[in-house]
Amino acid sequence: MVNYTFKGGIHINSPHLAEKLVVKQVPPPEQAVLLLQQKVGGEATPCVQIGDKVLTGQVIAKTLGRYSANIHASISGVVSAIEKRLIPHPSGINGICIVIDSDGKDKWIEIGKYDQDFKNYTPDEVIQKIHEAGVIGMGGAGFPTYTKISNVQDVNTLIVNATECEPGIMCDDSLMQEYSSDIIRGTEVLMYACGSYNSIIAIEDDKQEAYQSLLMSNHNDNISIVQIPVKYTSGAEKILIKILLGIEIPSGEFASDHGVLCQNVATVKAIYDAVIYNKPLVSRIVTVTGSAVKEPRNYEVRLGTSFASVVMQSKPNSNPHNIRIGGMMMGVDVPSVQYPICKITNCIFVNNIKPKSSVQSCIRCGQCNKVCPVGLLPQQLFWYAKSENIDRAMDYNLKDCFECRCCDVVCPSHIPLVKYFSFAKALHSKQTIERQKTDMARERFEFKEYRIERNKTERTDMMAKKKEELKNKMAEDKAQKDKILQAIVRVERSKKG
Amino acid sequence: MIKMFDSTSQMMRQVIYALILGIGATYFFLGWGIIMQIILAMIVAIVVESVFLKIRKLPIKHAISDGSAALTGILLAISIPSIAPWWIVVIGVSFAIIFGKQLYGGLGSNPFNPAMLGYAFLLISYPLQMSTWAIEFVNFGQAFDVIFNINHNPMIDALSGATRLDDVKNQLALGKIMSELNAYSVAQSWVNIGFLLGGLYLLARRVIFWQIPTAFLSGIILTAFLLSMVDSENYLPVQNHLMLGGTMLGVFFIATDPVSASTTPKGRLIYGFLIGILIVVIRTFGGYPDGIAFAILLVNITVPLIDYYTQPKVFGK
Repeated sequence: MVNYTFKGGIHINSPHLAEKLVVKQVPPPEQAVLLLQQKVGGEATPCVQIGDKVLTGQVIAKTLGRYSANIHASISGVVSAIEKRLIPHPSGINGICIVIDSDGKDKWIEIGKYDQDFKNYTPDEVIQKIHEAGVIGMGGAGFPTYTKISNVQDVNTLIVNATECEPGIMCDDSLMQEYSSDIIRGTEVLMYACGSYNSIIAIEDDKQEAYQSLLMSNHNDNISIVQIPVKYTSGAEKILIKILLGIEIPSGEFASDHGVLCQNVATVKAIYDAVIYNKPLVSRIVTVTGSAVKEPRNYEVRLGTSFASVVMQSKPNSNPHNIRIGGMMMGVDVPSVQYPICKITNCIFVNNIKPKSSVQSCIRCGQCNKVCPVGLLPQQLFWYAKSENIDRAMDYNLKDCFECRCCDVVCPSHIPLVKYFSFAKALHSKQTIERQKTDMARERFEFKEYRIERNKTERTDMMAKKKEELKNKMAEDKAQKDKILQAIVRVERSKKG
Repeated sequence: MIKMFDSTSQMMRQVIYALILGIGATYFFLGWGIIMQIILAMIVAIVVESVFLKIRKLPIKHAISDGSAALTGILLAISIPSIAPWWIVVIGVSFAIIFGKQLYGGLGSNPFNPAMLGYAFLLISYPLQMSTWAIEFVNFGQAFDVIFNINHNPMIDALSGATRLDDVKNQLALGKIMSELNAYSVAQSWVNIGFLLGGLYLLARRVIFWQIPTAFLSGIILTAFLLSMVDSENYLPVQNHLMLGGTMLGVFFIATDPVSASTTPKGRLIYGFLIGILIVVIRTFGGYPDGIAFAILLVNITVPLIDYYTQPKVFGK
C-alpha cells in the first residue's frame, strides 16, 4: 500500500458489479463499420476500394501524420461502402467509415514471421510493430501509442494504469484476470521499447482477484504492482503520477517532460499482441452495464460491431434508455445505440432515464472545492463562467480543470458545473482567436496609416527639394544668361571700339 | 468524500433543525415572544419573496421550496427582541428579503447577509424597540398583547429591560469597574449554549466547515483576552464575551451563511477572524451594545478581495 494520495476526489459505489467477470466472446458481426478517425488526430487514408475482398487483420487504412492510426479489417469479407456514418459523439456528427460485409468465414490474413523473444528486435522495431498494429490508448484517450512512446526521451518510470477508477467500468478488471501474464510480458516489451528500467502497475484495491493474478504472473523484479485506495480520478494520468511518484505536473507540461510514460493496461495487452504475435488491433473488451440492463457484463467484441447487437446480449429492458459511452463520470451521452464499437469504446452505459433534478441557485456552499482534485474553486468559476467574465475565470485557473465532474456530483443545487466550464473554455479560445485577429487588424490599420503619412511627408519633402533644385537651377540659368549677355555686350563694345 | 446533500433545501432544513435548541432555550427563559416572532417572520418572508418572484416572473414554488427565505426570516426573528411590536419584524424581514436578497438577484447573489442587513436597518431606524428586551418569562397572552397591540402597552415596562451587554456598557461608562458589576446572565448563557450545540451538530453533519467558527471564536478570544490583559477592570472578560448577546448564533449560524461568506478554506479563516475582532471592538468601543450584525456586514464587503487572494494551491503550481 502506498502512502501517497491526492486531495479531493470522491467515492462512488459502483452501480453494477458484474458477478461474472468472465469475458463473453461475441461472434464476428455480419457487418463491421470501421471509423477512420480516432479521438485525436486526423483520418487514416483508406487503401482499399469498394468491392475489394479483405481478410481479417488486413490493413484497410493507413496512418496519415503522427496522430492517426492504422485501421485493420476486423472481419473478412467485401468492402461495401466507404462513406460518412454517424460516429459515437454527443453532437451526432459524421465521420468517414469503411464498411465491410462479412463472408462468414472470418479468414485471417497471413501473419508474417514473428519472434516471441522481443529482445531480438531493436526498440525502434518494436515501436514500428506497435505502429503497424494500429494500437492507440485504449483507456479512452485514443492517443496513438507509437507517437506517445517515441515522444518520450529518457523514461525513468513506466506506469501501467490499471486503476479503472471510473465506477461501472470493469473491462480492465477481467482483462487482468484473464491475461495477467500477457500484461506482465507486455509491460516488459514496453519497458524495452521506451528504455525504462522500472515500471509500476497501479491497480485500485477493490480488484483483489486481478491484483492476485498479476502478482502470480509477475516474476520480474523491476515491475512492481501497487494497490492504491479506491477514489475516483485516481486514474487520471497526472493524478496517478502524483499518487505513485509524488510529482505534481502542472498544466501545460506533460508526463514525458518528467521522464514518465503512462499507458493503460488494455493498451499494454494490445502491445503484447502486436509485438509478440504480429496481431493487429481488431477487437477489444467492452463493458455493458447500467440500470436498464439485466445482465451487466464484459464482452470481447470485434471492432466495428454495432452497439445495439452487444447491448442486446445484456438484456436491456424495453423502456427508453439513456446511453453513455465511457465512464459514468467522464463518459459522453449519445442519442442512440446505432454506432460502431471503436478502439476506445471501453464501456456502454444503458440507464433508465431519470427525471432531471431541478437546478437551484449556487449558494457557494463549497462542497465542490472540497472534492476538486486540482484544487480549483468551482463555485467561483461557475460565477464567472455564467457571467461570461472569462478573464476572471482564467485568473481562477479555469484551464486547469480536466472535467472530471466530481463537482457536478456533489453539488446540492444540481448545477451542471462542468458544462459551464467547457463552455467558458470554448469561449476563451474563441475570444483569444478574435483578440489575435483584432490585434492583427489593428496593427495592419496602424501600419497603413503610418504608410500614408510617410508617403505624404516623403512627397512634400521631395516636392520641396525639387522646388529648391528648380530655384537653384533658375538662378544658375539666370547667372549663365547674364554672363552671356555680358559677353555679348563686351563683344559689341569691342566691335564698336 | 461522498455526496453529502441531495439538495440545497436539505442543507437549509439542517440549519433550521440545528436552531431548535437555541430557540428552545430562549422560549424557556423569555417565553412565547420568540415563537410568535418566528412564525410571523416566516410568513412575511415567504409572502414577500413570492411577491418579488412574481414581479421578476420567476417560478415561485421552486424558489420558496429551497427554504432560504424562511431561514432568513427565522434568523432575523431570533436576533430581534422577542417582545418587539409586530411591525418591527414585518419591516425588518421585508427589508432583508427585498434589499438584502431579491434586488441583488435572489439566492446566491447577495453580497450581504440578508438577515443582518435587515437587523442593522431596524437597529438604526428603531433603536428604542430594538433595545427593549424581555427579562422574564412572558406567557402567551402577554406576548400576544405586547407584540400585536399597536398602542403602547404599559405592561411592557414591567417585562422588559436592557440586555446584560447594554447594562455593562452603561455601567462602565458611568465609571464603575468590572468587579462591581454583574456581567453574567443565566438566560443568555443557556441560549448561547443551545446555539453552540446546534452549531456542533451542523459541523458534524458537514453543513458548515470548521474554519469560520474556529477563526471567529479565536478572534473574539484573542481580542478580548488582550483587552483584559491591558485593563481587566474596564473590559469585559473573555468568557462573558462568549456567553452574552448573540455570539454563538453569530458564530455558527450567521457568519457561516455560505452565500455572503468567503468560500476558500484560507479565506474562511481570515473572514471569521476579522469578524471576531470586530465584534469585540464594536462591543467595547462602539456606540451599540452588540456588534454581530455590523461586524458581519463589514467583513462581507471584503469577501471578494479575500477570495481572490486566498485561492487554494492549484495542482502542479
